[in-house]
Amino acid sequence: MKTAMARPLSAIGSVVLIIGALLPWATFVLNDGPYPDKATLEFFDAPFGLSSFRLYLEILGLAGIVFTFVPVRDKIRVLKSIGWGAAGISVVNLLFIAGDGGGLGAITAADGVPAFGSIVAVVGSAVLLFGAYQLPPEPLTVIDSKLPWWAEWLILLAAFVALLFLITETLTAGGHSGVSDPYIGPLFLSYLSAVGALLGVLHAFGVTEWISDMSERHRVFSIVVLVLCAVAVPFTSVGNDYWMTITANIGVYAATAIGLNIVVGLAGLLDLGYVAFMGIGAFVAANLSGAVAAEFHIQLPFIVAAIASGIVAGVFGAVVGSPTLRVRGDYLAIVTLAFGEIFVRVSQNNIGGLTGGSNAIPNIPDLSLFGAQFNDAPTIGGLQLPGGVLYYFLIVLLVALVMFVFGNLKNSRIGRAWIAIREDEDVARAMGVKTGKLKILAFMTGATLAGLAGAVFAHKLATASYDSFQFNQSVTLLAAVILGGMGTIPGAVLGAALLFVLPEELRQFKDYRLLFFGLALVVIMRFRPQGLIADRHRRAELADEDTTGESLDDTAIKEPVAVAAKEAGA
Amino acid sequence: MTPVLQARDVSMVFGGLAALKNVSLDLDEGKIVGLIGPNGAGKTTFFNCLTGLYTPTTGQVLLKGDPLPGDPAAVTDAGVARTFQNIRLFPSMTVLENVLLGRHVRMKQGPLSSLFHGPAFRRGEAAARDRARELLAFVGLGKVEDELSRNLPYGDQRRLEIARALATDPAVLLLDEPTAGMNPQETEAARQLIFRIRDTGVSVVVIEHDTKFIFTLCDRVSVLVQGELLVEGTPDEVRGDPRVVEAYLGKPPEEVEAELQAVQEGEQS
Ligand SMILES: Nc1ncnc2c1ncn2[C@@H]1O[C@H](COP(=O)(O)OP(=O)(O)O)[C@@H](O)[C@H]1O
Ligand SMILES: [Mg+2]
Repeated sequence: MKTAMARPLSAIGSVVLIIGALLPWATFVLNDGPYPDKATLEFFDAPFGLSSFRLYLEILGLAGIVFTFVPVRDKIRVLKSIGWGAAGISVVNLLFIAGDGGGLGAITAADGVPAFGSIVAVVGSAVLLFGAYQLPPEPLTVIDSKLPWWAEWLILLAAFVALLFLITETLTAGGHSGVSDPYIGPLFLSYLSAVGALLGVLHAFGVTEWISDMSERHRVFSIVVLVLCAVAVPFTSVGNDYWMTITANIGVYAATAIGLNIVVGLAGLLDLGYVAFMGIGAFVAANLSGAVAAEFHIQLPFIVAAIASGIVAGVFGAVVGSPTLRVRGDYLAIVTLAFGEIFVRVSQNNIGGLTGGSNAIPNIPDLSLFGAQFNDAPTIGGLQLPGGVLYYFLIVLLVALVMFVFGNLKNSRIGRAWIAIREDEDVARAMGVKTGKLKILAFMTGATLAGLAGAVFAHKLATASYDSFQFNQSVTLLAAVILGGMGTIPGAVLGAALLFVLPEELRQFKDYRLLFFGLALVVIMRFRPQGLIADRHRRAELADEDTTGESLDDTAIKEPVAVAAKEAGA
Repeated sequence: MTPVLQARDVSMVFGGLAALKNVSLDLDEGKIVGLIGPNGAGKTTFFNCLTGLYTPTTGQVLLKGDPLPGDPAAVTDAGVARTFQNIRLFPSMTVLENVLLGRHVRMKQGPLSSLFHGPAFRRGEAAARDRARELLAFVGLGKVEDELSRNLPYGDQRRLEIARALATDPAVLLLDEPTAGMNPQETEAARQLIFRIRDTGVSVVVIEHDTKFIFTLCDRVSVLVQGELLVEGTPDEVRGDPRVVEAYLGKPPEEVEAELQAVQEGEQS
């Protein structure tokens, strides 16, 4: 009986959604200019001129109708994805118009102008979702067809290029280069919801898993293409100084998060003071950079300074990790927390004269290679590249290196032992794993990678200040790892990207940033405890739960958007 | 010939509770020794003393004549492997990875080799995988190597624990209630498996409640009651001992008699 209602409900929801997309959304021109393209957002001004979020809604509504009636596999996940995406878009814009846009009058009827578009769309997506949830759960679709190698290469190439396109589009959704457009936030979130819905549908069809298995089969090819895609970014629509800086920052934090992922995700050791190792790396590099304020007045080549940073941070990692021989779990977290705090106090007070105290170590010289300063905007073959592009390339290299370390260690005797320690330390020991040494090795490896990232960070910012390495940075990194998916590289990168891009895109909500992170984490932990991109094992666990029914929800990737939307309105 | 594993007057005291009192045990090479006793008798505690998990309060454990190293990892390295009474696999690792983890002590790749995946690393890794697959086939789990271990049925999980222990190339294998929760067919398969393990030259100690299973499997049997070694001998000697009937089996004598009868008949047929 339940399922009998599913089709009519999701069909009705989809139709209502389309109607909502076509209705006017605001009763007057929003304060700060056109939002997003038609001042009053009234459909009747330009009947076929739907664009931006209303276009996404219309497409989602049409897709909802199609997938309600066309027989597809795993209909429930398809419709759920569409429903959550639509809900995200409608709620974000409803809250934005009603909040920043001018109150309830803006979305209901004022001066004889009715504008119920957003409300209708919210109702439509709710009905669609309600219908979708009536459907019986199905196991995840698995496509296991293998194609000839060249066809798989082509598909992978296409997938990565599409990914690149999606990323640049996401970054620039709602405006370029950080010009303070008051509408960036909602437009960005709308785009993200739409992309989330698309990915959700692809996931339901088994396409994402299929491609990821394919990339597993052609690992080297995938890595090469991925690196090429990353190198291609400066030549796309985000190729400007602003985005070079943002993406370089994401890269540094992503590299650091991958390092943390060794400690937390593989070995299962909670480290609450991790960013201190990045700080140590940054200060070592700063002191060896020839900066005027540095303690040592020598200037080593960057590569030497970076290696020194990694080594020093690694030694500290081993020292901080040594209590892991004695303490476990919560106690270890407290030890690492204390270390992080000690580092901040010591560097703030310039003990040993190595950190510049509250003056920091400013004016770290710009890196240069063959006479090209890294902060300049180079021209290659008549093509003007954005400023900071060389740092961007350096950081792509850093991330690639860290991925190499993580990937190879994970798929080795050492990585298996780390995972065994995470799963059951006593048994690991009983099976002959020298748990003490390996835990220290995990700490040391993670710290070394953070130290390297810190060295790059110091040069990129031209400053090394204790202020960049505080507790909340450690927590944000940890959140990136958990949110993205413990134990996976794409997870850490996605987590770092979300936690360090979202604040840029959502600057107008910056007061609520931490609240938003908190809520997003709670939602993720509730609905997708394995993180957005789960590792193979956890993915299998998930598929497993799936067949037994209930507790599964793979739409979590879209839910933070809904949360963000609530925040936006707050 | 010295026994491979020898416990001499091992006592273990927790706080005021003496869980083991002067327990001795000899395991000769290529033999299967059974350890029976009521719940709480100290059998698992004894295994923990034999694997370095606990350091006996007094007494000594010798492996091939040498004192046991103090650390469980080193004990495994020296050649003692075990399974657990309540199955303790690595639940979110695959079947194959569980066995590969058992192979850990016999693999030599250090951090640098693991980082660079050079030719030597790949050879070692391939060899480990071959050995792991061989062991999975040996215990009868050849077809499920990519399953998560937590998804295996109960009996298969026990067999996987045995494969993981065997992957450490042990001289001595300690099995803590390997047939608990198994149906008769599985129990019979487990018995055959233990014989086959013995035939590869591994000496085995088995804890089990099922007296029929123990008496038909083992070369010698020890009976532990309240931390004390009550009787030690061949299955026939133990079976006939009135103290065992009284103290361990703790059942009305007629019932025990009937059970023993059944065992004997089973043997004759
Ligand atoms: N770590 C420990 N601390 C305190 N008491 C223990 C510990 N381990 C075992 N015991 C006690 O030792 C006794 C023997 O337990 P155990 O060896 O598990 O028995 P069995 O395996 O024969 O059923 C029990 O009374 C148990 O409570
Ligand atoms: Mg026991």
